[in-house]
Amino acid sequence: MKISAKLRRSGVAALAVAAVIGTAGIAHAATTLVETGSSLLYPLFNIWVPDFSAANPGIQLTTTSTGSGAGIAQAAKGLVQIGASDAYVSDSLEKKNPTLLSIPLAISSQAINYNLPGLNDKNIKLSGPVLAAIYMGKITMWNDPKIKAMNPGVDLPDHVIIPVHRLDGSGDTFIFTQYLSASTPAWAKTLKYGTAVSWPAITGEIGAKGNTGMLSAAAANPYSVAYIGVSYANQVAKDGLGVAMLKNKAGKFVLPDADTVGAAANSVVTDTPPDERISMIFADGDNAYPIANYEYAVVNSQQPDATTAGAIRTFLSWAITSGNSMQYLSKVHFLPLPDAIKILSQTQIAKIQ
Amino acid sequence: MNLSPFRMTLLGLSLLIPAALCAVVLFLLIYSGQAIGFNGLHFVTDINWNLGDLYDDPVTVKGIQIPSGANYGILVFIVGTLLSSFIAIIIAVPLSVGAAIFLAEAVPPRIRPVLSMLVELVAVVPSVVFGLWGIAVLIPFIGHYIAPTGNGYGLLAASIVLALMITPIIATTLLDALMQVPKENRESAFALGATHFEVVSKAMMPMVRTTLVGGIVLALGRALGETMAVLMVSGGGINILPTSLFSPISTIASFIVAQLDSAESDPTNMAVRSLAEIALVLFIITLAVNAGAKILSSGALHVRKRQH
Amino acid sequence: MSASVSIKAAKPARSAQEVRRIIGSNIGWVACGFALLCVIGPLVDIVAVIAIHGLSAFSGKLFTTVTNGTGGGLLNAIEGTAVLSLGAMIIAVPIGVGAGIYLSEYGQNRLGSTIRFLSDVLTGTPSIVLGYFSYIVFIISLGWGFSVLAGAITLAILIVPYLARITELALRQVPTSMREAGFALGATEPTVVFKIILPGAASGVVTGALLALAISVGETAPLIYTAGWSNYTWDGKLTHAPIGYLTYVIWSFIDQPFAESHALAFAAAFLVMLVVLAINVGVRLVVKRA
Repeated sequence: MKISAKLRRSGVAALAVAAVIGTAGIAHAATTLVETGSSLLYPLFNIWVPDFSAANPGIQLTTTSTGSGAGIAQAAKGLVQIGASDAYVSDSLEKKNPTLLSIPLAISSQAINYNLPGLNDKNIKLSGPVLAAIYMGKITMWNDPKIKAMNPGVDLPDHVIIPVHRLDGSGDTFIFTQYLSASTPAWAKTLKYGTAVSWPAITGEIGAKGNTGMLSAAAANPYSVAYIGVSYANQVAKDGLGVAMLKNKAGKFVLPDADTVGAAANSVVTDTPPDERISMIFADGDNAYPIANYEYAVVNSQQPDATTAGAIRTFLSWAITSGNSMQYLSKVHFLPLPDAIKILSQTQIAKIQ
Repeated sequence: MNLSPFRMTLLGLSLLIPAALCAVVLFLLIYSGQAIGFNGLHFVTDINWNLGDLYDDPVTVKGIQIPSGANYGILVFIVGTLLSSFIAIIIAVPLSVGAAIFLAEAVPPRIRPVLSMLVELVAVVPSVVFGLWGIAVLIPFIGHYIAPTGNGYGLLAASIVLALMITPIIATTLLDALMQVPKENRESAFALGATHFEVVSKAMMPMVRTTLVGGIVLALGRALGETMAVLMVSGGGINILPTSLFSPISTIASFIVAQLDSAESDPTNMAVRSLAEIALVLFIITLAVNAGAKILSSGALHVRKRQH
Repeated sequence: MSASVSIKAAKPARSAQEVRRIIGSNIGWVACGFALLCVIGPLVDIVAVIAIHGLSAFSGKLFTTVTNGTGGGLLNAIEGTAVLSLGAMIIAVPIGVGAGIYLSEYGQNRLGSTIRFLSDVLTGTPSIVLGYFSYIVFIISLGWGFSVLAGAITLAILIVPYLARITELALRQVPTSMREAGFALGATEPTVVFKIILPGAASGVVTGALLALAISVGETAPLIYTAGWSNYTWDGKLTHAPIGYLTYVIWSFIDQPFAESHALAFAAAFLVMLVVLAINVGVRLVVKRA
């Protein structure tokens, strides 16, 4: 009796204290915005939050990471105000939710990293078809003739390749498989692309969780190959993994850097439609890096009230102007939107009511 | 039957638990209804899991709209779940029993609360932290010293992590029970000339058998349903059945977490319905395991009665 | 008789069987000690790893500021975990302990067996399934949005079977003689239960409650879909407002490419364990004194 009474009393007291702390914390009528979705875009949102909140104290922005699919779904349902996604809203989803806007916020890219003892500082060359064959199990050894042909003079080891893929739904998988689909008809026919694909069974392959997991798996397993978002470039370098040169549509081998990714972005500027739903994977251009994409904010153009809509517009406008400066983007190795795209995005933002 | 208000209140509270279970199962049944009809029996026999093309127009198969190319088969995950939980129990039970016995009998009474609290603290470690530790410490260890291929991710890592997570459940309940064994049983066993260890193993342990089985069943339940830690160390096997302790696996629970977000982008909703169906299969497995444990434990009791 | 002889004589030589039994027993003790080491060893390692990695995030600011972008403090997460876990316990303890009492005292029949069985099955539910169930039922269908209430209910469903089972097991260990003595003295059922049996099984019940609390504090998957996440402290609303919690920081911040985020994640992990250790110690002291 005594114990349960004591416990009950202390439990109620604790809850009361928590409630007091909670209500004391908020003595203002701020607009709350919740963003969720892509884990690729999440770090950038987090970098934006401190400065945006300082400049706009009336708006409380919460950032979450649940995956692009959840981001779109929850934005459509109105659970969150901003859904972050590495993929624009697909045609079939657009049909179900015609009021969803896909608004690019920045440009990200992805590197193919590998762990080959002795070769991690030489950027070995790989291509979409070769990678597709590796992840389908058709090429199993590093010194396969197809890889050797691409890397003359490089002493590739006689060892099984360990392909590492994401086991959780991921925008990185999405753009990686888009690259494979765009460059390899065999892949496009069978496995296609998506945030999760049905990875073929290969002995020794590893499924890792998150970019951090990809990094750990690649670093721990020599002779592995993994696709890792460019925001992790610093960690990749620190762990001593190699960065591959990828064959782009023009047949040239390029590394992911500001020039090549910028070239990819610029090549689709004129083709970008007003709803901004376009892919820049495997873009045209001699210098274009083949795995680059817009990072989208998926927002419902019809918001429940004007204050929320205004707050969303304020944030998104800030994001594509002040937020697109290199002081933020350089921390995640993203690139700013081309000016023409910023205009298109601004037009879409104005539609949010 | 005594219908006192006291008993009725208690009964009412107790019935809330099965009610919650039934609510969840009912939800899953209703939600996955279409998927059950579509997937049929090959759901549990097929190795291949494919969400299909989520960005293209859906096609109609058997009168139901699904993404083109979609195929839902979960044999891989059933095998992964059963194997990892089974191996986890094999590892955890001896560890828990040993630890509980040592704590109850061999440790000086003054240190006992500290050590038993340490054991309980293992239960406090969040699942994700076990996963992080697994990646940082366990997987390199397995990779260097145990695995023939040098790859630490896989069935063994998942089983060890699960075992560590469920050990406190068995150990703490067993410890409590051992401490409650009446002094007379211990003293009479000593009087008969048994060594200290024999007193514990032959006189005390049989008395706490029901508690032990109860703890194991609880632990097994937790192992079957564990998601985060397994997700991080299991190697994410898909479309491939495990062939050794070092093969990558996926358990049902970790697979649902991994796929849920992608499934939400399926415009036909078939993917989430199939995920709900997977959850139903896990329920059936848990039911079967619990029923099996019940039969085994009542069988054991019968044997004991006959010997007396 | 041999008895008087053996008192005067030196200790008789041990038979081979005795020696075997003694060696076997010693091996048994070593094995048990080793088992304990295997259980506690990894824990020490985990705590060390967490502490070392989270060191750079530790400062007074950790407890006073909210998560701000890629770093900051953990005030909102700590508060959120406290609110959610307490809420879950408020719902789960009466139900779980009540069920445990019912099952141990009046549950030795078919109905009791069924309840017990179904309760065990409930422990096998993956937390993500409960989370998704709550997501569809409470968040979407009932329209609560991300909310504290949904999170607390989900956690409660998760932990209530453990409470029930462990309470029952603890109560069953109390000797029947105590119950009979109580009834013989003319006490009513509630009195016997609350004043005689429960106090007698107090340590076991408290163990169950602490285990349940530990499980609820360490859960991530169900909360991601029900409580959401918030960068700010709780505004007191039970529905339509998301809330932060420590395990979210661990789950999400570890996946960011910034060292400060990783440190924050490990600091959150450390705090989770510290908080429950503190509760553990505190409640044990309360129980001992009572």
